[in-house]
Amino acid sequence: MSNITMRELKEDIRTGLKTKELVLSMGPQHPSTHGVLRLVLELDGETVVKCTPYVGYLHRGTEKLCEHRTYLNALPLSDRLDYIVSMANNVGYVLAVERLFGIEAPPRAKYIRTIVSEMARLSGHLLWIATHALDIGAMTVFLYSFREREWLLDLFEHLCGARLTTSYPRIGGVRNDVTEEFLDSLYEFTEEFPRRIEEYETLIDQNRIWLQRTKGIGVISAEEAINWGLTGPVLRGSGVPYDVRKFAPYDAYPWVDFEVPVGKNGDVYDRYKVRMQEMRQSNRIIKQCIERMPKGPVMAPDAPKFTLPPKEKVMSEMESLIHQFVLITKGPIAAPEGEIYSAIEAPKGELGFYIVSDGTGRPYRLRLRSPSFVHASVLPRLCEGHLVADVIANIGTIDIVLGECDR
Amino acid sequence: MRLKELIQKVLFIEILKGMALTLSRLFTRPVTRQYPEEKKQALPGFRGLHALARRPDGTARCVGCGLCAAICPSECIHVYTTEGPDHQKIVERYEIEVLRCVYCALCVEACPFQAIALTEHYEYANYSRDDFYMTKEKLLENWDKYMAGKKGEEYFKRFWHPLENDFREYEGQPIFDPERYKRRKGKIRDIRGEWLIYNGNGRRQ
Repeated sequence: MSNITMRELKEDIRTGLKTKELVLSMGPQHPSTHGVLRLVLELDGETVVKCTPYVGYLHRGTEKLCEHRTYLNALPLSDRLDYIVSMANNVGYVLAVERLFGIEAPPRAKYIRTIVSEMARLSGHLLWIATHALDIGAMTVFLYSFREREWLLDLFEHLCGARLTTSYPRIGGVRNDVTEEFLDSLYEFTEEFPRRIEEYETLIDQNRIWLQRTKGIGVISAEEAINWGLTGPVLRGSGVPYDVRKFAPYDAYPWVDFEVPVGKNGDVYDRYKVRMQEMRQSNRIIKQCIERMPKGPVMAPDAPKFTLPPKEKVMSEMESLIHQFVLITKGPIAAPEGEIYSAIEAPKGELGFYIVSDGTGRPYRLRLRSPSFVHASVLPRLCEGHLVADVIANIGTIDIVLGECDR
Repeated sequence: MRLKELIQKVLFIEILKGMALTLSRLFTRPVTRQYPEEKKQALPGFRGLHALARRPDGTARCVGCGLCAAICPSECIHVYTTEGPDHQKIVERYEIEVLRCVYCALCVEACPFQAIALTEHYEYANYSRDDFYMTKEKLLENWDKYMAGKKGEEYFKRFWHPLENDFREYEGQPIFDPERYKRRKGKIRDIRGEWLIYNGNGRRQ
């Protein structure tokens, strides 16, 4: 500003003031960017002219780290992808490794995994509705949904000893069996939960401020959403009924029935609706799984080359002890060579693991297809031409977690 | 339909409904916890501070095989061994950098001698980094503090993994039983005897 000469100023006054676009760097510490997302916004008044997302502030090199870890050892890394629904990531990773090895978990383990990944979906969506509503200005919903989330997290703690970084599933099954208390308490949760969803909807569903902040904002058509590679609720909000649980069923999903809710307009409100319906469907899935869960082993009994032997045997049998040592220090014995892509429907979208194996106990290359990264790339498309306040609504609606985005 | 919408809009029906729900919460128990005063007991099997198990004679169960160090994803366990007078292995130093630990409990799973455990203790904030560098003595002390007696035995019986039962079917496995659920509905307690259930009125006690 200071280097404007007097002559230029006079010129300006004669021809009218020249205006420049304001460059605003939003984040990486902004509370409503849900982590360390940085958006560089070029503003013309209150309108966003250009929006550039910068990612990578939470880059930890997960893919590279996996390369020098055994398959079991890399499991805790998957906790830290989408750290609010780590159970779903665990299931995705374990499933990919199982498909690579050609082993299958027993039915009971499949049911347990389905239950926990749906619980993760619920806890993820509950956190999403809490923060999304908080960003837009509906502050009341926050503690309502955290109340239910606490119940779920307590159940996680009861099940595996940790609330967030669960590391619960194992290659070939799950770490430990569920308890009676877990089943009964979760069943009570499923009976109670639909009423709780109605409570959230009482608070925001018809609220005129909520409607004005969400309807017609961040519209993306079905065709465009597919072209951007969107998945999960963001894609379904535009009316595309794509769901990995239906298209390539894994675990116990083929044995339970549920619907895939879709939206119509592809705006923020529709995506909100889709997620609320999804919570109801998740609830249904959990209920069915609890009712149908059979008795049986929770670890694949016929895969001693990939699963750790039972501890009792390790302490009494030489062969199992040797197995334990080899499996832990060198990784799975006789892992097949080859590559595999395996995807699950994580709460945020399609979470894919592409593993290349060279026959050793460690993955040669592990590539992650994380929904948050793809969804972050669509932000400019959603924000440009709209008001600066809608940027917040758009970040909330695509529901990104930067741990997964930057990996 | 049009008229109904108009009436709803003029009379602020949806806002009033929301307000009614919010105000009704004034008369229920709070769901939040006054943390430093009101502490939460971690559930059994919680993955908290580390401890090294003792044998009945008071020595450490650890034999220094190093499997825990091999499986540790954050590489925070260091085991140093030497040779004793009768050519036996002696664990000279066993150290855990607690600040680097990710609490995945893979070391507990890997240990073939049930020598390492994660206790339920989770409040160990301190002023210097040295306090988080756990030596063998400190770890054994943790065992005495948080795991001594029955609790330690229970811990390994219930949470050593994988169990033999995980690989085969057996009779007493818990499945959902509508009868049992009906009996216990609303009063399901967890192992520590506290309610595992929340309702609209907050924590039941």
